[in-house]
Amino acid sequence: MPALLELQRAFAGALVQEYERGVWAHITEDGFNAAERLRIYRNTCRATLIETLRMAYPAVERLVGCEFFEHAAGKFVERHPARSGYLNEYGAAFPVFLAGLEAAGELPYLADVGRFEWALSVAANAEDRPVLDPGALLGVAGEHHAELRFAPHPSVSCLELAYPADEIADAVLAGDGAAMRKVDLTSGPVRIVVHRGANGLETERLCARAYELVSLLCAGEPLGRVIEAAPEQAPVLLAEQLGKGRLSVFTIAR
Amino acid sequence: MIPASAGVGLRFAHHRAVLDERPAAAWFEVHAENYMGGGKPLAYLEAIRRDYPVALHGVALSLGSAEGLDARHLRRLAELAGRIDPALVSEHLAWTASGGTHFPDLLPLPLTEESLGVVCRNVERAQQVLGRLLLENPSSYLRYRHSTIPEWEFVAAIAARTGCGILCDVNNIYVSACNHGFDALAYLRALPAQAVAEFHLAGHRLRKLEDGRSIRIDDHGSRVAPEVWALYAEAVTLLGPRPTLIEWDTDVPPLAVLLEEAAHAERILRRERADACAA
Repeated sequence: MPALLELQRAFAGALVQEYERGVWAHITEDGFNAAERLRIYRNTCRATLIETLRMAYPAVERLVGCEFFEHAAGKFVERHPARSGYLNEYGAAFPVFLAGLEAAGELPYLADVGRFEWALSVAANAEDRPVLDPGALLGVAGEHHAELRFAPHPSVSCLELAYPADEIADAVLAGDGAAMRKVDLTSGPVRIVVHRGANGLETERLCARAYELVSLLCAGEPLGRVIEAAPEQAPVLLAEQLGKGRLSVFTIAR
Repeated sequence: MIPASAGVGLRFAHHRAVLDERPAAAWFEVHAENYMGGGKPLAYLEAIRRDYPVALHGVALSLGSAEGLDARHLRRLAELAGRIDPALVSEHLAWTASGGTHFPDLLPLPLTEESLGVVCRNVERAQQVLGRLLLENPSSYLRYRHSTIPEWEFVAAIAARTGCGILCDVNNIYVSACNHGFDALAYLRALPAQAVAEFHLAGHRLRKLEDGRSIRIDDHGSRVAPEVWALYAEAVTLLGPRPTLIEWDTDVPPLAVLLEEAAHAERILRRERADACAA
């Protein structure tokens, strides 16, 4: 009789690898053999994870079609088991996986659309955390301003993408062929900040300079460094980030 | 406190309808894992919680894991419970994680003394954090050669040892009884009535293979089967009226269909209360 720990590891192995037979000998076979019984559980796990990806990547699915999406998601699921029981965390690596798919080569922007959609999913599901009240900064003495470091709201993602993934996602989800045809794939990189504001999900395109500064702020770099990089722009950008609710807390780090 | 009335499993598709229409459901139950983030889903749930009792039903705590509980998942469940103040918290007699991999299905346990010890330890740990849990019997599609304890005795023993309640899923008993050839009514008769705190009802499908074999799959994708309604009526008579939930998770229909199913359950509960009064 196997110990429970050993049995569960063997069962888990059989769910990941169909021909992993370690657990078969411990399963009663009346009417259905062990492989058939295990397949019921494997199929449910697989279908649930594919559905989880489908929910997070609707524009990717529209771009490649249901059949290809099912195939690609199935391959992804085989290589990337869930590491948490909270499935909203599942699928972060799907865009990188898409980028490596030879069959998706005709859509060079596919992985960028995936990155954009993952940022939307993160923003939609991020935990509720209070946004930083700008008034709280009034109490910080002037000599400490350069030492201020900010943490972004957990819904914030900063994306630098080679293709205009936001336009592509909007056009494909709206089924707007004309808008899709207007997308200029050669327009160069786009920089987008995604977050969840008081009125829902917000996406904003930034110029290269502003993106660099917002990225520095959101990476927790000291305010002094941001001001050094752009003495004139930094105060306005900081005020904008506070106003949009993209910052959550601050610390003073000497 | 949830009354011994019929409630409905709340799904995202019905958030808006519940808030706009204030349906006559006695209570709602949600899958805890669907609300562990923030944003809109949690805001809807909090708004609905202001007007209805809510139960949290976990699907990924893995109470049957020999490795013990995932502390992060337990913490998330506790944070959600702290925010929603649920009237009941329930989980499953199953395992869903091993070696750091999580499987989104309720995997079956061998019913042995060792498993009983593992589940009791995990239930006690969870109850230290969450308060009293209800434990649900899952549907199953396989059994282990080395199981030594019938499922109904296993469930009753966990309740006796840990003080947890029993969430008696009548559809699951029916599905497993058909798949494994045991007597569903005998299962119900063996449960300690005082520990049973909730019933679940859902649809399942009969999967027929070309070679004539068949197996019942608990897919929560249709109305409650007539045989399950009959078994539920027996359960209510044997174990008493309890809060009863209509679950529907795949091909989710309009809310009105779930409310019709809940009304059916309510009629059975009412009939039992009337019979009890007459007696």
